[in-house]
Amino acid sequence: MDSISFGRYVNYDSFIHRLDARNKILLLIALMIMIFMPFSTWSTSLIFSLLYFIILMILMGVSHCSFKSFFKGILSMWFLLLFLIIMFIFIPNPSLSSVPLYTFNESYTIYWDGIYQAAYIFLRLILMMSLTLILTSTTKPLDLTYALEWYMYPLNIINFPSHTIAMMISIALRFIPTILDEAKRIMKAQESRGVDFSRGGLFKKVKAIISLIIPLFVSAFDRSQQLSDAMEARGYDPNSKRSRYRKLKFHLKDLISALIILPIVAFIMYLSIAQNDLDIIYTLFKVEVGF
Amino acid sequence: MKAISVKNLTYSYDEHHIAIDDISFDIMQGSYVSIIGPNGSGKSTLAKLIDGLISSNKGEIKIFDTTLDRKNVNKLRQRIGIVFQNPDNQFISSTVEDDIAFGLENQNVDPALMKDIVLEYAKKVKMSDYLDKEPSNLSGGQKQRVAIAGVLALNRDIIIFDEATSMLDPKGREDIRNLIKQLRKSNPNLTMLSITHDIEEAYLSDYVIILNKGKIVKQGNHDEIFSNLDELKSLGFETPFFATIKEKLQKRGYDLKNINNIEELINKLCQLM
Ligand SMILES: Nc1ncnc2c1ncn2[C@@H]1O[C@H](COP(=O)(O)OP(=O)(O)OP(=O)(O)O)[C@@H](O)[C@H]1O
Ligand SMILES: [Mg+2]
Repeated sequence: MDSISFGRYVNYDSFIHRLDARNKILLLIALMIMIFMPFSTWSTSLIFSLLYFIILMILMGVSHCSFKSFFKGILSMWFLLLFLIIMFIFIPNPSLSSVPLYTFNESYTIYWDGIYQAAYIFLRLILMMSLTLILTSTTKPLDLTYALEWYMYPLNIINFPSHTIAMMISIALRFIPTILDEAKRIMKAQESRGVDFSRGGLFKKVKAIISLIIPLFVSAFDRSQQLSDAMEARGYDPNSKRSRYRKLKFHLKDLISALIILPIVAFIMYLSIAQNDLDIIYTLFKVEVGF
Repeated sequence: MKAISVKNLTYSYDEHHIAIDDISFDIMQGSYVSIIGPNGSGKSTLAKLIDGLISSNKGEIKIFDTTLDRKNVNKLRQRIGIVFQNPDNQFISSTVEDDIAFGLENQNVDPALMKDIVLEYAKKVKMSDYLDKEPSNLSGGQKQRVAIAGVLALNRDIIIFDEATSMLDPKGREDIRNLIKQLRKSNPNLTMLSITHDIEEAYLSDYVIILNKGKIVKQGNHDEIFSNLDELKSLGFETPFFATIKEKLQKRGYDLKNINNIEELINKLCQLM
């Protein structure tokens, strides 16, 4: 259950906290694109990724993200890492002109490329995770949904229910902790009646889970009925005009941060597309590392 | 003027079971009415019917002399505010201030005015120190205060409290009682309908409706209900502290006709001694 705390809003007042949510979403997407720009030399791709990693770690520190939940999140992906390593190391891509690392029985070869590729993909995953973590830790869920709604606004022309969707997201976010609490309570109640959630064979486990899921669903439906009553009673009508308590504001610092980050992203995209065979180590130090 | 008028209202959730059984009563504008009754007697159902959240085709509900129907329910509902029983399931937004503002947003209130209104009502329910807190960090009683503030902020003509103070500690209840008193003083036209298990709270009201199994077993103004404590007891209710003492003293032969509250009673007793 604790893994849910990954990405929870951290109540702190940092520079990043104060940026407009819409700007943060824009920059997040730009940075994600940047992270995914590849270079044909492994050393360059890896060096860029490491650079991003260092920068993102600093940003995480500045915005007081929880490193503990970040590392927990990474650890919980160990299976994925294992899978990646097996995928790329033991099923080498034959099209790569690559340096062999080890040959079994003179018939099956492992290449360095597989290792680079696995490392690169894993690093990118970590980068994506830290990016999203920075966004969600520094932005109130409500501001995030308002920002999403703002971006979806043009879709209203084709009758896309952007407001309803934003409302759904914000209610879902609001009720996740409540329903988790409820799940814990039901588990305790069922445990006291002799249901064992941690041991037993598959059949027993499934039975235990069912004893959790059914009451949880019953209460969730009950809740949703009461919630819709409460919303209606307070005059909620998705089709009528509503004013906004919370206003998203685009400040000067948003402009400045966008003006700094977007050109960097553009430059890296340029490097990746136009100078794809760039070997950063050779360019800077005139040393041939050979990968 | 009648704020709420209910005639021969019947409602059932399913065929076998009647939740509201041929109920009629009138509530005058500006009055403070309590509905009391055991669990499952249909109190919450009645509140939802009055607010048009559920509708019945048997019987009639009039809000300020207009019959409630499918077409005008949204309009009439704007005159009614309702605080529900479960504080968690009426906390709609993710922070205290946003939740108090939710109804104001629906009424398209100017955002420039909203901040002040939110703060004003948060102060009234003593939640102004918690404005940016999330519901998961609040106690049940605190959430209920937020719900109360969210409804009061809408400035409705009729306010229904469905056991709205049941989660509060005695001090919290006292606060809300005083708040209601103060609201009624500043707006004599405010109609209060309070569903409660707290007989002391019911004792403060002008008119009491006693429900049981979907039927009204007794209704009447304050004096009619609380002058016959034995009947109240026989219906399964506790008796209010002040009324009990007064009755017992009267049985011993003291003349307490014009004594209406505990202070007056003490003064009178001091005179007599
Ligand atoms: N959503 C529902 N579906 C079916 N039956 C319901 C529903 N809500 C209430 N009932 C039934 O209607 C009857 C009246 O319920 P109601 O909630 O109005 O009682 P109440 O007087 O508010 O009780 P409490 O003091 O416990 O709040 C009960 O018998 C209850 O089981
Ligand atoms: Mg009820």
